[in-house]
Amino acid sequence: MKFKLHLPADKFNLPLAPMLDIALLLMMFFVLNLKLVTPQGNLDLNLPISAPNLVQRADVNLTDIKVGLHSDRNGVLTELTLGSKNLGNDDAAFDRLNREILQIIGRPGNPLTKDVEIEIDADFETQYRYVAKAISQCTGRIDAQTKQIARYVEKIRFAPPHKPKA
Amino acid sequence: MKLSPLEANSPDTDMTPIIDIVFLLLMLFMIVINFENSKAEDRTRLPKDGLAKPPEVRPEHELVLNFGYKRNRDGSKAESTPTVYFNDRDVEVGRLGIELDQERRAMEQQYGNRVIDDVTVLIRADADVPAGLVQQLVQKCQQNGFTKFLLRAMVEQK
Repeated sequence: MKFKLHLPADKFNLPLAPMLDIALLLMMFFVLNLKLVTPQGNLDLNLPISAPNLVQRADVNLTDIKVGLHSDRNGVLTELTLGSKNLGNDDAAFDRLNREILQIIGRPGNPLTKDVEIEIDADFETQYRYVAKAISQCTGRIDAQTKQIARYVEKIRFAPPHKPKA
Repeated sequence: MKLSPLEANSPDTDMTPIIDIVFLLLMLFMIVINFENSKAEDRTRLPKDGLAKPPEVRPEHELVLNFGYKRNRDGSKAESTPTVYFNDRDVEVGRLGIELDQERRAMEQQYGNRVIDDVTVLIRADADVPAGLVQQLVQKCQQNGFTKFLLRAMVEQK
């Protein structure tokens, strides 16, 4: 006598729901912790330690450039100066500074200016945002055509810090 | 006439595509998320600048100094004096010399005596911090032998 055994093929059901739950929980955690931040960049700062060189360079015919930032007690900019020239205290003042520096050096990347230093002389209270902007405007600009940085002066020096206003 | 009872159809939903998508999203968020310096990010509101460029190569030896204000939940300043957030502690600029000296010694012990020449100090200063204090911070670093500096700013997109 023949017996035919027809066993049903075992269907292996892996429970996926718990795995999906955990995955969704993890995803919620990451979504909630996600911070979309503005990209950050660096401003190159070449700070020579040596004493300031105030002597006019005979070979380059350029003097060291002095940029002054004066502020009120709250640190708000009141005057931006280049040498003895007052450039103002608004956003346009920084553009003027950029143009003046370009006039002094002649053209971006001028090899004659590689030894030129710019001295930043800021009041103690002056907010750092203005100093960062002044450094940026002194060191170059973004070329409108190439979208690359056209370098003006690379060496920046801080004048000895002032005392806070009484 | 006898009617056989209808078999209840069990709805077999195919979960595989859902799981695939969920895992893909999970991976995306894991990659995008940035926990680094999250505590320091909150206190330093960097100045914005069009010339700031994201670094192409990270310096081999880097010392990050976060200089800003302790802030309340609403973003207002909790204290009027800014501090340097260094090694998970708040240090006033005037007292940073000891900390920097210890850091320098630790670096020299780990990488050799000449390492100090290769260390780049990355200053992440709040836009509102007085410039005089930033200068003092730079001076403290220079007094401890650090010579290379970078200022961190937000990239201003026009």
